[in-house]
Amino acid sequence: MEENSNMTAERSLAIITEQIEKNRRAVSKTLGQSLYISGLCIMATSVLVAIINFLSMSSGMVGIGHLLWFLLPVAIWFFSRKYIKERAHRPTNMVGQMVAKTWQTFAIFSLGFFIIAIVCTAILFPMMTTAEYSVVQIRVAPIIVLLMGMAIAMNGQILNQRWLVWFGAVAGLLCFVWEHFEVLTWLLVHCLPLKPYEASVFMSTLPCVTIFIFGFVGLLLPGMMLKKQAV
Amino acid sequence: MFPTLDPLLHSELRLAVMSLLVSAEEAEFPYIKEQTGATAGNLSVQIDKLSAAGYIEVEKTFKGKKPCTLCRITPKGMKAFEEYVESLKSYFIR
Repeated sequence: MEENSNMTAERSLAIITEQIEKNRRAVSKTLGQSLYISGLCIMATSVLVAIINFLSMSSGMVGIGHLLWFLLPVAIWFFSRKYIKERAHRPTNMVGQMVAKTWQTFAIFSLGFFIIAIVCTAILFPMMTTAEYSVVQIRVAPIIVLLMGMAIAMNGQILNQRWLVWFGAVAGLLCFVWEHFEVLTWLLVHCLPLKPYEASVFMSTLPCVTIFIFGFVGLLLPGMMLKKQAV
Repeated sequence: MFPTLDPLLHSELRLAVMSLLVSAEEAEFPYIKEQTGATAGNLSVQIDKLSAAGYIEVEKTFKGKKPCTLCRITPKGMKAFEEYVESLKSYFIR
């Protein structure tokens, strides 16, 4: 582009349109890559957590794999730095910032809640009988899926994707009910002839399956769509 | 009678820079260079002109050990751009 002051009105309009469109594409690409990487990290972590939970069950360390969730923000940060090299030169816009802030807020609440749950369990479990503990225990999975559903719905609003809003709201609320009222446990006990060990394997891996699906639909798919739009 | 277009904005490169900055909160020099396809020298001159007019502000910082030039549009620049677009509209309406 050269220094030219003798432009027609049409040329001026074309320049404005072209630059705004170029910028929109560049920002969409970066945002799409961020969502894509975050989605992949969440899906990979949920698979790892499920495997570790399954393997550790025989040694009596039920749910130990869930501690891996703490590494998720580090993994997302590491892979984003590694694979989004051009990000240094990319500007941000309001949409990108709002999406990033939504997921940052989700991460703060989830990890904070996770820590509270671990501390409370460590304090309450030795002090109570199993019956008492089952009443006061903090269930992590329902709250995490509810928060994740809310974050996905908010992303849908920001990105103007109605299907994402519906998915976040419906899946978040349904999975909250499913996890909180332990529908699966009831089904396993009453409908399927599963042994207690088999039932506990299902119960410890189901939240991972839910989060895997949420990561795929809520992050990976929108990321892929934004990347495609930017081409 | 057509309204006079702001001579500072009625230039290909300066208009391109302003259009980019209107849709981005702030942008680094290499990004603007890449998007406009201008040479570093020419772009630097045009950015200085826009900065001198108070349309954009230029912040020179460091990213690690590398120097980094950040440009962002000012409220005065935003107003000038809006007026430019309004004036431009009249060329199409009549």
